[in-house]
Amino acid sequence: MNTRERFHAQMHYQPRDRSLIWDFNFWRETIPIWHEQGLPKDIKHDYTGAGTDEFFGMDPTARWTGYAGLCPGFEVKVIEDRGDHEIIQQDNGVHVLRKKFMSSIPQHVRHLLVDRASWREHYKPRLDPAHPSRINAQRAKEHSARGDVLLLSGGSLYGSLRDWMGMENLSLVVYDDPAWFEEMVTTMADCVVGTIQRTIDLGIQADACGIWEDMCYNAGPLLSPKHFKKYLVPQYRRITDLLHRANVDVVWVDCDGCIDHLIPLWLEAGVNCMFPIEIGTWGADPIKYRQQFGRDLLMVGGFDKHILMAGPAAIDREIQRLTPLVEEGGYIPLADHRVPPDVPLAHYVHYLKSARRVWGKNTNLRPMHPSIA
Amino acid sequence: MADLSALQQAVIKGDRANAVKLTQEAVNAKVSPKEILDQGLVAGMAVVGARFKKNEVFVPEVLIAARAMKEAMGVLEPVLAKAGIKPAHTAVIGTVQGDLHDIGKNLVAMMWKGANFGVIDLGTNVPPEKFVEAAKQHQANVVGLSALLTTTMPAMKKTVEAIKAANLPGVKILVGGAPITQAFANEVGADGFAPDAATAVDVAKKVLAA
Repeated sequence: MNTRERFHAQMHYQPRDRSLIWDFNFWRETIPIWHEQGLPKDIKHDYTGAGTDEFFGMDPTARWTGYAGLCPGFEVKVIEDRGDHEIIQQDNGVHVLRKKFMSSIPQHVRHLLVDRASWREHYKPRLDPAHPSRINAQRAKEHSARGDVLLLSGGSLYGSLRDWMGMENLSLVVYDDPAWFEEMVTTMADCVVGTIQRTIDLGIQADACGIWEDMCYNAGPLLSPKHFKKYLVPQYRRITDLLHRANVDVVWVDCDGCIDHLIPLWLEAGVNCMFPIEIGTWGADPIKYRQQFGRDLLMVGGFDKHILMAGPAAIDREIQRLTPLVEEGGYIPLADHRVPPDVPLAHYVHYLKSARRVWGKNTNLRPMHPSIA
Repeated sequence: MADLSALQQAVIKGDRANAVKLTQEAVNAKVSPKEILDQGLVAGMAVVGARFKKNEVFVPEVLIAARAMKEAMGVLEPVLAKAGIKPAHTAVIGTVQGDLHDIGKNLVAMMWKGANFGVIDLGTNVPPEKFVEAAKQHQANVVGLSALLTTTMPAMKKTVEAIKAANLPGVKILVGGAPITQAFANEVGADGFAPDAATAVDVAKKVLAA
């Protein structure tokens, strides 16, 4: 089986030789710390996972096709240098204060999207699905030919707007100008639908679709379920109806935080796979989710990163605990977010070896680098 | 006739125009400013806080309620000042050194203001000595420390140690943030732990009453 075949078998509860061995990559500062713990210096951080996947013997990560974000992006530039910090303009137009060598979420200091006029001037024109740079058909076909999992870009209906405006400002728009909020969400969905349709028209057969939202925190969603149902569900439906017509039936949403209130609404909207199931202090658990929502709910993630910090015995216990779910299917385990720098390299290698033995059945695995094998 | 229950409802609904109008009417009717504050604005925010805690309302609903209270306070504050009425408690809040996250911290500050705490917000990436200095300067009763990252939890520990070492009389330290647990709060010697913004008011009042 190749990666794509294994992905489909695992997501559709079908027989397979083993589980996929995936991870959600690393914080940027994890790799330099691991260099001090013995990771060869030539292994560099890369958000595509190019170098680390091969070193750790991971199955090739899913590959994106299409881009439903801002086209073109804004110019990325340094606005102010503050020594170990800097204010930069991101490609989404937001000015943020960030640490120069830190991959964590930065602090927003200025938003360009503040009202209807700035929406019309700066953002709406960049959401044209017909923009020529949205799809690289050649690359998609290369990934497909290699047997990689091909992911359609499902964009974002809320998360990007929150980034562009700030959480507080966007929350107030929901009440102060609901028609504008609806217009923005609809425009986001138009861009996603148009981009996916173009991808389909190019003859690219994707395996799944990935939506990014990050719209929950440790106590629940940033938008009430009532507003979610009113404004977001119909737009997700447009996207998932199109996907289903194109035989794409794994639609995942990337959302950190406590997602419990939104899972039923996402399912109602045809978004059927939760990623990365952040365990957090609120006690999320993929096993409980399966009991609660049944086989309609697919999951990717759900291995508590704090357990990676705790050590080999805790890691092995958690691998055993999750194994029946992995065996059942509809679930691909991976660390519940990018692996943070407080996970020792030795713990991570132990996790990988155990995961490869138990979930990977030591069968048809990509080899690990000899220095850690 | 001033209608404080209508004022309370205006805050709950986030109806800022009505909150300002009803506050002005109550002031004009010579209702005691403390009564307007406690029975109108703070009572309204208390209902919002309780609903927030039970997930009956969410962040946007809390934000519009807090905005309504803030605008009404614009009318009431001069009257409170004239009457010499100050907030019962003063809180200093910030995100600890190395951490740039502010959403959770802002929500807690908002809930504390809604409960009529005087709040001094130090922002993000705040070094321990700045917390100590601000607590001294403002004679704070409560210092709230926020962290989102597991990697900045050690900075929270250092900040608690610095505040304790400064021997500030009557200062209670509260910690919170996505990776923080009661066990961690106990380990670092904090006086209280708020698992989320909705409970931060209750926890602060509890530790202050202890």
